[in-house]
Amino acid sequence: MEGAEIIKAAAVLGAGICMGFGAIGPGIGEGFAAGKACEGVAREPENVNLITRTMLIGQAVSESTGIYSLVIALLMLFVIK
Amino acid sequence: MVRISKNEKIFLVCVLVIEVLLSFFIKMDMSTIAEPRAKLLTIFGWQIPFNGINIATVLNTWVIMGFLVWVAFVVSRRFTPIPSRLQSLIEMYVQGFDTLCREVLGDKRGRQYMPLVSTLFVFVVLSNWIGVIPSFWRVFKGLPHWMVIEEPTRDLNTTLGLGIMCFVIAHVSGIYFKGFGKYVAEFFEPMIEIGNMRIPNLFMGILNIVGEFGKTISHSFRLFGNILGGSIIIIVISNLTKYIGLPVFLNSFFGLFVGAIQAFVFAMLALVYISLMVNE
Repeated sequence: MEGAEIIKAAAVLGAGICMGFGAIGPGIGEGFAAGKACEGVAREPENVNLITRTMLIGQAVSESTGIYSLVIALLMLFVIK
Repeated sequence: MVRISKNEKIFLVCVLVIEVLLSFFIKMDMSTIAEPRAKLLTIFGWQIPFNGINIATVLNTWVIMGFLVWVAFVVSRRFTPIPSRLQSLIEMYVQGFDTLCREVLGDKRGRQYMPLVSTLFVFVVLSNWIGVIPSFWRVFKGLPHWMVIEEPTRDLNTTLGLGIMCFVIAHVSGIYFKGFGKYVAEFFEPMIEIGNMRIPNLFMGILNIVGEFGKTISHSFRLFGNILGGSIIIIVISNLTKYIGLPVFLNSFFGLFVGAIQAFVFAMLALVYISLMVNE
């Protein structure tokens, strides 16, 4: 039974590392997009609807790598017994 | 300013009190995250392929579909020149998506694709919001395990089905509007030019075809991961605080706010994928 416990421990550890490193990229990317959107709104306040919409879509696209790491982490937590 | 009548105030207070009282009895320990969902394996003695049907997902989807059909058929009969509250909400939603689609796709095709995109949005947003309702009857023992309110979008089957639907619609309308030859040729751009000859770029073709499948997968996994992650965070933190106080704010952030944003993003990305295929 010792091998199974080591596998479970490694899976839990791997899930934590996966989520931690996977959150770096989307955090930087979404913050960058939001900052640029702020600059755009400051420059052209009449286009605020278009800028917000484009920002949301760009953020959602750059978020997908974080979502992949979330799915991998969930797989490691719940599927590996 | 929205006026709330006295009856509605009484109703809201009753719901709040019932929710607070029931929150002491509902035992949703952390193992409910990982436990397998109730499945329908056989129907009339016929084995269902792909490991059966998730009953809770199907029932919740039917509830949402029934609600939408009810709104479409019954409420739209009662439309008047002076709009009621529900009617002005529906008019705002239809008008918003009409302008959005016509901005992206042009006047004529925007009108054609508006029903698809707006229906996607309202179905996904209701799917995300239905998880905010607590399943009161989970307090009583002996009821079947599948009687639970949870988001249909928590299940990968729903989101992958919607994603594949958008993929098929985008590509079929691309073939329909551009013609098959031009549709295929667009995958192999930029062409290699030697003298007067233009040779299709095979490397770019492979990359583009893989990218098309990757789009569908990320489109559906984005919605699935956001909703599943949010519901897991709600359950875990609610367990830490013993269901007192904090779940209201967690539900309003991860259920209502993130649900609305993700539904809008899902519909907008479907629109953008269609416009990439349709526009020249």
